Amino acid sequence: MSHHLMSRRRLLATGGGLSLAALLAACSDDSQKAQTTGAAASGGALALSLLLPGDAPAGWDAVLAEVNKKLQADLGFTIKPQFIPWSSYGQQALLKFTAGEKFDTALQARWLNMTQLAASGSIVELSSLMSSGKYPNLAATIDPKIIELNRWSGKLYGVPQINSAARFHHFTIRQDLAEKLGMTDITDFAGLEKFWYDVKQKNKDIIPIGISSRMPKLLVAWNPVGWLNPYMWENPTMSIASFTGESLNFVLAADGKQTGSSNPIPFWEAPGMVDALRLVRKYYQDGLFNKNGLTLDSKALDSQYKAGRVATVWAMTDGLSSAALPELTKNVPGAMIANVMPLKGGESAKPYQTFQSDNFVVLNAKGQSNEKAMQLQDWASIKENHDLLNYGITGKDWNPIGDDKYEKVSTYTFPGFALAWRAKLERRVNGMTESETKWFDWAQDINNFTIDPYASFVPDPEPIKRENTQITAAMTQFANPLFLGAVDVDQGLDKLKKALDRAGLAKVQAEMAKQADAYLKGQ
Amino acid sequence: MSWSIGLLALPAVVFFLVFNYLPMAGLVVAFKQFDVNLGIFGSPWNGLENFAYFLESGDAARILFNTLFLNVLFLGATLAAGMILAIMLNEIRSTFFKRVSQSVVFFPYFVSPVVISIILQVLLAGASGGGGAVNDALGGLGFPTVDWYTEPGPWPWILTVVKVWQLGGYLSVIFLAAITGIPEEVYEAGMIDGASRAQMAWRITLPLLKPTAAVLLVLGVGRIFYGDFGTIYAIVGDNGTLFDSTDVIDTYVFRALRQLGDFGTTAAVGLFQSVVGFILVLIAVLIQRKYSKETSIL
Repeated sequence: MSHHLMSRRRLLATGGGLSLAALLAACSDDSQKAQTTGAAASGGALALSLLLPGDAPAGWDAVLAEVNKKLQADLGFTIKPQFIPWSSYGQQALLKFTAGEKFDTALQARWLNMTQLAASGSIVELSSLMSSGKYPNLAATIDPKIIELNRWSGKLYGVPQINSAARFHHFTIRQDLAEKLGMTDITDFAGLEKFWYDVKQKNKDIIPIGISSRMPKLLVAWNPVGWLNPYMWENPTMSIASFTGESLNFVLAADGKQTGSSNPIPFWEAPGMVDALRLVRKYYQDGLFNKNGLTLDSKALDSQYKAGRVATVWAMTDGLSSAALPELTKNVPGAMIANVMPLKGGESAKPYQTFQSDNFVVLNAKGQSNEKAMQLQDWASIKENHDLLNYGITGKDWNPIGDDKYEKVSTYTFPGFALAWRAKLERRVNGMTESETKWFDWAQDINNFTIDPYASFVPDPEPIKRENTQITAAMTQFANPLFLGAVDVDQGLDKLKKALDRAGLAKVQAEMAKQADAYLKGQ
Repeated sequence: MSWSIGLLALPAVVFFLVFNYLPMAGLVVAFKQFDVNLGIFGSPWNGLENFAYFLESGDAARILFNTLFLNVLFLGATLAAGMILAIMLNEIRSTFFKRVSQSVVFFPYFVSPVVISIILQVLLAGASGGGGAVNDALGGLGFPTVDWYTEPGPWPWILTVVKVWQLGGYLSVIFLAAITGIPEEVYEAGMIDGASRAQMAWRITLPLLKPTAAVLLVLGVGRIFYGDFGTIYAIVGDNGTLFDSTDVIDTYVFRALRQLGDFGTTAAVGLFQSVVGFILVLIAVLIQRKYSKETSIL
């Protein structure tokens, strides 16, 4: 009996001891991790963790294995990228930063949460790392001018990822449908509108304009041009600023440099904005676009487009529109696409540009090794590595055509802009459409644009953090449905204004004026 | 040997300490201006400012109302559905058919909210967001179609239907168990008195299910301040047009944290929710004690 008791006691004591040991281990785990920060490279066990947007590309495992084999041999570490769907990338990345997670790099931008992260010290200021001379390949493939243009108040918060001088959003349309409808060359907004209505009338199964949940904020008051705002396509010279990516868009005075006053006004007070809201509302009611835009994932929209069910989608001057063509033509034999930029004056319009990169690789202040993260950027700046990351495995995913073109063999599509875009190393997809080639070339010449008078003005949200938080919440609730035409314009705008007033619009507007005026003064 | 019993409890105590009590220290963040670089304990205090944000945002009243209204709807509808289903299942004579029916009504309980949201989208909006089976049916019957995903009005009812579909079968099993406990003699007495099957269900089964329903109700009331996050968020997401009638505390907190990265405010709302939830649990238990002391948990 006593023997039994003893063994039971021993068992219990062992169990209790194990529990305590586990508890202590759990408590000490974090401090140990913190100590290894920046020095975990020994033994080659370090794996940099990266946040990338979208879904892992098809064939990613094989490419990653190849990348890691090479990285391990070249630099002695590997990477462990985490893909986060576009529908929640902005929020999840922000949350991971705010929660103090120890990943190494992430895609960030002004249109995401970069200003917030810079203001809170969550991302690393890169000037000294960039000028250290330790990253020659990176320095050789990013123009120093681009680095200078992407500084905010003299500080560099990310490695700009670019493949042209300026990026300009516009429309990709199904050219085969346009031609069937008797429209050969669409160059203006009126032509686009006619195309959409004709598609609606004659192709009942095709949605004229596809909209995903990431897009509402781009549609009316965006920099440099609201996607569905005809006034802005006619006058692409409006300066727009907001404290953070999802917050309220202010329009700044065009003559600020002369008067010294930036006079920021909420977007709806600027010319053309309310008309654009009414137009979008009309499109919504006429069924020109999918009515589930507030909830539709961009990936789902993309697959509908590639299946031939959408006639117009959002495009960027990044040379990527034509990459959808092989899949589209497989589903819809004879399909053709064209990039339409309905600027008044076409290629000679000289729209405003800030020349700031749309995408940056930022380094997490709490990352394991900021130096290694920069080494990775340097490694990705070598043509062979750049090719591997961006296009996949040669022969399996792509074939080189000369030095600057490639032929897509598989459906591998890597978000190069989120890790490894180097203007000098980028290849063009073979078979890029004529219209896309035209606009891609156009975007690569800095002289095709006018420098926005507020080009390097980046407002600091810290002084009005709380108000900005509430304003962002109000924008999600009231502005997104309004931008999408899902609610009556007058009622929706009224609700938005009331919510913004309650959230502290006056204070935020005054702060924007103060900071923008100070910027003008320093020019 | 009371200490050895204590030792036996140790792993559980340690577990609850580590995973349930220690994290509560993080609640101080509700009273702080959280800065990730300073950490939870290094960030400066800011009193009740985070609470003020929620209460002054103008959203508080709407969110509180939605939380209570939706949960009362869910609770009432699911309990009623569970009871009715149980009575109906009990009336099925064929054992095979009864088992199959039971499994069929139980099944939705295991369906993920994400799948439910997709099913709903197909029914209410279709692939293009402008059609859907429900609209097709409405159109066929000569009624005007509805843009369901931008009309906040019907959503409390749509969500209630979803909840009933999800939980009706699950609750019916609990009620069926209670029905099995009703002595056969009661029904025999009913038969002798010449009661029809409907009369027996109405006058015997239903009244005898009341205690079970009361326990489930009390349990439900205790949780009434917690919106059903999984289902509501999966279905509504960030669709602002529906917030008017669907935004509950949990979805609000989640959105605030995810979109704004503001831990202080989020923790303040969460703490507020927990405190009110705790008070409601206490009240529910006290009421239960008053009416049914034997089954009370306190």
